[in-house]
Amino acid sequence: MRKLTTALLAGLVLTAGASAALAADKTEISVARFFGACEADYGSVTDVTKANGECGIITALINKFNAESTTTVVKPEIVEWPGYDQLTARIRSGEPPVISVMHEAVISDYSSRGLLEPLDEDFAKAGVDVNDMTDAARQGVTKDGKIYAMPFDTHTWLWHINMNLFKEAGLVDEAGKPILPKNTDELFAQAEQFKEKTGKPYFISTLANETAFYTRTFDTLLYQQNVDFFADPNKVDFSSPEAKGALQLLADIYSKDLTTKNQDYAASVSSFAAGDGGVFICGTWLIDTYDQESKKDGPLANGYAVTAFPQIYPGSPRVWADGHSWVLLKQDLSDAQRASAVEFMKFLWDNNFEWARTGHLPVRKSIIDSAEFKGLPHRDDIASLAVNGTALPSAVKRQFSIQEIEGEEVGSAMRGDKSVEEALTDAETRINELLANAK
Amino acid sequence: MTDATLSPGKAVAAVKRPTGASIGPRWTNALFIAPYMVFYLALLVYPLFKGIWMSMLESDMFDDTSKFTGLANYYRLFNDKIFIGTIWNTVLFVLMTVPVFVAIGLLLALALNRSDRTSASLRAIFFGTSVLSVTIVTIIWKMMYMPGNGAIASIMRLFGLEPIAFITSSSLALPAIAVTTIWWIIGLPMMLFLAALQQIPGELYEAAALDNASRWRSFWSITLPSIRRTMLVVVIYEIVAQFQLFGQAQLLTQGGPNNASRPIVLFIYEQGFRSWNLGYAAAASEVLFLIMAVAALAQFFASRKRVEG
Repeated sequence: MRKLTTALLAGLVLTAGASAALAADKTEISVARFFGACEADYGSVTDVTKANGECGIITALINKFNAESTTTVVKPEIVEWPGYDQLTARIRSGEPPVISVMHEAVISDYSSRGLLEPLDEDFAKAGVDVNDMTDAARQGVTKDGKIYAMPFDTHTWLWHINMNLFKEAGLVDEAGKPILPKNTDELFAQAEQFKEKTGKPYFISTLANETAFYTRTFDTLLYQQNVDFFADPNKVDFSSPEAKGALQLLADIYSKDLTTKNQDYAASVSSFAAGDGGVFICGTWLIDTYDQESKKDGPLANGYAVTAFPQIYPGSPRVWADGHSWVLLKQDLSDAQRASAVEFMKFLWDNNFEWARTGHLPVRKSIIDSAEFKGLPHRDDIASLAVNGTALPSAVKRQFSIQEIEGEEVGSAMRGDKSVEEALTDAETRINELLANAK
Repeated sequence: MTDATLSPGKAVAAVKRPTGASIGPRWTNALFIAPYMVFYLALLVYPLFKGIWMSMLESDMFDDTSKFTGLANYYRLFNDKIFIGTIWNTVLFVLMTVPVFVAIGLLLALALNRSDRTSASLRAIFFGTSVLSVTIVTIIWKMMYMPGNGAIASIMRLFGLEPIAFITSSSLALPAIAVTTIWWIIGLPMMLFLAALQQIPGELYEAAALDNASRWRSFWSITLPSIRRTMLVVVIYEIVAQFQLFGQAQLLTQGGPNNASRPIVLFIYEQGFRSWNLGYAAAASEVLFLIMAVAALAQFFASRKRVEG
């Protein structure tokens, strides 16, 4: 018995030692990302097909990479969205992560200061076919003629719809499709009808503690009216009557109680799943989550639809868009670390379809054209977004700060804390002041 | 008598000064405070002057070339509606919290200045919140304040009342942050007052009792004068601390809605880390420093006058 115990212990020690030696042989790279933390559900999942939602899929992708790579260990560092304050502080203190997730709108702020590594040569060596990138993705990661990031997705703003409540409100046509507004008058008429029939607000909106809803919706309404508010990338112009009309529309939706109020992001996401309203204006990343929800019992059961942002102004069907990407931070990296970083990026490129299951648009033409992608739920309904997604001109600096300011001011007017005119003037003054002092 | 005493001119040259009774400064004594001075100069004085210098530069977070612009950042600051708003918010927040810290801290200390177990437990409970991080505190209060499924909203609905949108209302956001802050760190002033109360000699109260003094009279004439210096410490400490409001505002309201709860430190943070305008952020920091110094000194001199009077 004693011999057996000794043998078992020796075996354990050898196994542990061998594993440690194996891990020690691998190059460790840090990867900073948002998308949430869900180790409790997906901490050990390496089969990506079994993961759902942004958090689940990225966690499973990293697990899979760590399980398969013979040379690299990725150490994820999860940050609160959007994470740029933290990244800036880490770069300034000389301790940036090796790789970080970054919105394409932000890349030029960092690349123009030499904080990011250009990746053209690395991609060529690793066999990443940049010609397979969609136009939106390639434009998003290319600055001054160089590719500075591995694109991961294109995401846009759209309408998630509770079809069960739409049926109750009489807003479903004979083909079973939701009846959507084609102009502002129809929007108010349908929203009032919905409220009257269901006793619930037409919209669910994220109005508390973040500004994304305000900026993205307002920008979309301006795009729909063909307003070129950044004709000069150093100066914003919100003085047009179209801008005033768009903001007044949002203020009227709020004052007529056609939306939920005071909900933060988490509350609004769960509020839609709980059937508290008909339309949730949010992004592509929730499609998979709500599609899964519609397969269970509950207010969304067999009653979830998604559609591109309906065109309620006659100008254009364009809609706000951005993209997630992965950047390599400039620092004193060894050849092995750089090779590991590129290996991980290539892995994400190869597995772009899995990420597209979240609802985001893929960044590879070959995936967009594939039957596999077209076979995913609701993808026909949002196919137009690949063409109509519109980002701010890349020459506009400090895009995230601009979005914050714009969102704050649009929010103030929507909630009635400020007049529409005052909010637009203040937004313009603050953004132009920011740009005048931005290097 | 020696020659030395008869001719002092010679004595100075001839007689050795006895050791251990030196007259005049001995600079070697400065070595005792040298370690402290090194840290004080490196971590406080140097950053202070560096900050003042930076506030006069057009300086970007990642751009090593800075341009001297004199007082341009200050001129810009005082024409910035958002910054003016943050000054008002911060002063208002200090006015909302500091008197409450003094009043409730003293009341709790008076109530719990006993040696029984219940008082000891309550002291631990009231002080317990002070050890929580600002993240935990704001998560707790977010769960209290959210109008949809927050605890306060649920209680209000129980009584058939419409929930109040505390952190999304421009008039209630700052008071909501004040309540959170008071709940969080009321333990410290309470402890300071408790320590002061326990220093008051019992004989004074016994003498007052013999003179048939009421409890109010004893409080007014014995307790308050005896803890006046502690009160000064609490007031000045809280003024300095509350002017630096940051975490609660950033995590609960992000300065909104409509700039109604943005304090100066959040403004500094946003300018520095989000807009990368280090010079502008440094100028705002100097303004905050000046306001805090004036407020604390005014309180100090006012209280000293009263104590001396």
